[in-house]
Amino acid sequence: MTANDLFIALPLLLLAVGALLTLLLGAITRDDTVGTTIGVTVTLAAALWLLQTPPAASAPTLGLAAGTVPRLFGAAFATLAAAVLCLSSGYNREREIRGEEYPATVLFTTFGMLALASATNLLTLFLGLEAMSFGFYILVAIDLQRPTSGETGLKYLLPGALSAAFFAFGLALLYAVSGTLSIREVVQLTLTGSPDPVAIAGWACLLAGVAFKLSLAPAHLWTPDVYQGAPAPVTAFLSAGSKGAAILLLLLLLPHATDSTPLRVPLWTLALLSLLVGNLAALLQNRVRRMLAYSSIAQMGYVAIALLSGKAGGYQAAAYYALAYGIISLAAFGAITVIERNGCGEELEDYRGLGRQQPFASGVLTLALLALAGIPPTAGFTGKFLIFTAALRAGEIALAIIGILLAAISIYYYLRVVVALYFKESLREGNATLYPLEYLVLTVAAAATLLLGLWPGTLLGLLSPLLP
Amino acid sequence: MNILLTALVFLPLLGGLLLLPLGNRDRLARTVALAVALIETLLAGSAWFCQGNQPALPAPPGFFLYTDQPWIEALGIRYTLGMDGISLLLVLLTAIVTVIAMLVSWHAIDKRVSSHYLLILAMEAGIVGVFLALDLFLFYLFWELMLIPMFFLIGIWGHGRNHYSAVKFFLYTLVGSLLMLLAIIGLYLIHGSQSGSYTFALSALLGTSVTPATGLWLYGAFLLAFAIKFPLVPLHTWLPDAHTDAPTAGSIILAGLLLKTGAYGLIRFGYPLFPAAASTLTPYLIFLAVFGIIYASWIAFAQKDMKRLVAYSSVGHMGFVALGIAVWTPVALSGAVLQMVNHGLTTTALFALVGMLDERAHSRQIDNFGGLWGKIPIFSAFFILFAMASAGLPGLNNFVGEFLILVGSFPVASIATILAFIGIILPLVYTVRLIQEVLFQGEGNPLALADLNRRELAVLAFLALGGIYIGIHPAPLLAVIKVPVALLTGGAP
Repeated sequence: MTANDLFIALPLLLLAVGALLTLLLGAITRDDTVGTTIGVTVTLAAALWLLQTPPAASAPTLGLAAGTVPRLFGAAFATLAAAVLCLSSGYNREREIRGEEYPATVLFTTFGMLALASATNLLTLFLGLEAMSFGFYILVAIDLQRPTSGETGLKYLLPGALSAAFFAFGLALLYAVSGTLSIREVVQLTLTGSPDPVAIAGWACLLAGVAFKLSLAPAHLWTPDVYQGAPAPVTAFLSAGSKGAAILLLLLLLPHATDSTPLRVPLWTLALLSLLVGNLAALLQNRVRRMLAYSSIAQMGYVAIALLSGKAGGYQAAAYYALAYGIISLAAFGAITVIERNGCGEELEDYRGLGRQQPFASGVLTLALLALAGIPPTAGFTGKFLIFTAALRAGEIALAIIGILLAAISIYYYLRVVVALYFKESLREGNATLYPLEYLVLTVAAAATLLLGLWPGTLLGLLSPLLP
Repeated sequence: MNILLTALVFLPLLGGLLLLPLGNRDRLARTVALAVALIETLLAGSAWFCQGNQPALPAPPGFFLYTDQPWIEALGIRYTLGMDGISLLLVLLTAIVTVIAMLVSWHAIDKRVSSHYLLILAMEAGIVGVFLALDLFLFYLFWELMLIPMFFLIGIWGHGRNHYSAVKFFLYTLVGSLLMLLAIIGLYLIHGSQSGSYTFALSALLGTSVTPATGLWLYGAFLLAFAIKFPLVPLHTWLPDAHTDAPTAGSIILAGLLLKTGAYGLIRFGYPLFPAAASTLTPYLIFLAVFGIIYASWIAFAQKDMKRLVAYSSVGHMGFVALGIAVWTPVALSGAVLQMVNHGLTTTALFALVGMLDERAHSRQIDNFGGLWGKIPIFSAFFILFAMASAGLPGLNNFVGEFLILVGSFPVASIATILAFIGIILPLVYTVRLIQEVLFQGEGNPLALADLNRRELAVLAFLALGGIYIGIHPAPLLAVIKVPVALLTGGAP
């Protein structure tokens, strides 16, 4: 291993060592704050390392590279993991989710995300994706006190395994056609104006696998149950991290295409179905988390529009939206973490009058919902703006109009929550608590939602390598 | 001078943030909010004296205050604010109506007072921003921003079916504006591909040449957004619900200010950006305007709730504004702008009066009142004055605006003008009925009512003086808008 390899792999090593250390220390002390502290330290250290060091040449022996965009996403994933650990500390204590395995699994999952982000090789990419998924299989079912945990875990694991199989088979087919594992060469050779039939089959399998991760309809069926059943901080992690990683995966692949028209019809269909299913089904939900699950399906539909119009600025828009959606998800599910930790139920009815009982968490949740609805001046608005600009520029006018009309409909289900929070009288009294760490995470997420919306220039500059 | 424009937009927002830590100290919150609104009015007033000013930056003709900063350079989005005569009048109106809305709800609002005033100030910032923005992205931002406070105002402090009304208001206006967003992006892309520079600056986009079909689509999206705000019949159904269920301050700001943003958008963006498409659709717009005038007056006659009656009368009056804009002649357009100001003042007064009655008797039903003339004469005198102003009595403000609109549109659309003239008479019918039933007719169950207090008297006297002044001597206001109207309608200033 050369110095350069070490330089690139250092964040990964940090996370791996942190995870192992947490597991080892778990044998010595039963104090869960130790694991959290180690976890937050190594993730933030990894994020700082990724942000502060200059871009490095690739490390071909490891199948890793450290370009601007992967490092930005890597830093975002690591920061997200730190935020999730902060949110979890209070939640897990009250829900009696004990043990060192929680922070260790979060670190391991983040390891997978970072490996995926910096992959230049299809095998590394697959390993990263699976490492991440493996972590999530455990995390969604980690609340042993809850009877539904096992069911949730199974509902995520089975389709997940299927999607991994599809993905792996797709990779194998692409390898068979191109004879190389380098992402750039594989994509260049297989995604052309007149692709090989085997390559088409490979891409179809690959897309099916990723559609599951992105919960694009019709591969979305697991989403509501898992969003509903997992512990709230894990849902935040899943919604922000796993979706972001899946979008990044496509962003690592698609821009290398010689001609991406073969993917237009499948992506178009996935986008349309996701927009329709997500937005319309969300209208019918009476549980906040299920509503947000369907909303995430719809949001990924918008990302699919962006990917579809990639060469017209869509890749940049998709990357921006991935980060924006991650921050907004963190804000939304972070607020839900606080709200549920204070004894609130899952039904929309339970959220009545919370605006007065828990003004801070309700305020952050409202901001996140308005951002998801695409109201300015939030990151959600700027993201949608970029996506629609790319779509119109690419000539996808029909999809843009359908998308924006469905966005208008979506306002209704977001507003329902706001109406419950602020307009209705509360059913019960009681004092709510807010831990300093939760306060910190929610403040940062809310501020980022606004700042990213008002001044997207810096981030867009960092994402400019994705522009054609 | 560009600091003045920025201050006009952000002072209410910052002032609103001052209210956040006040919590339950209601008196202090009211005072601080009123102070902020008064300072804003002073700032807006000081802009009046800047009319001879030459902006340092190269500003579009007619704009005497102008500021232009890069904002999101990657997308060609700039922070561009500018004030010409039309913006000046509307910003002044905004500042004054906001102060009045605060004074009127001084005691009527007794829960979550600081949040109430925070939202009013936030809305003021959004509306002033709409009247000043000269970058389409910035304009859209303010356009959406003013919706959120109103949604909360109706939902939290409203009455009746206010949750339903708040959501309906939000959804209605948002559907229109989202399509407008697509049209803005479309125009941006067309202009960018033609000129090579991607920008949202209004002055640059004005020169875009679009094919007739594309222009029609784009203009259609703009028109839909503005027509919903206006509101033009048949897109008006959100308005009676929202007005009726909003608290008094909300109704005042809705009718006095929010409706003007639709008309302003059409004047500033719709017609100038797409002159060809606008002239194609003008007959339809004229038809909708005249139909709205007559239909709304007819419906207003059937209302039992005074607030609903005033709401429908607003739809009718805004129909006149639409007519004045649609024919796009200098006289009619001046009348339309003047009528926006007049309607702002008169409707504010009427909603305030209904609010005062509601505060005293907890009812707004026309049937519940009678013989007020004998009991509360000062109130009744103002009631007659403003009802008559609203009905277009000569010598009062609304008459001037409506007269100019009719004079200006007769040469262009004579049949529509004749029909609209009927629309001047119809309000007289329901107004006289309203005055007769509420003020003079004997009442079923007598109510004990107190006459106006000093605060209410001051508010109404101010509005009355304003209305009479404009009615007798509108020349200063017309002089302010002369140059921008001439520039917009294509004549030399």
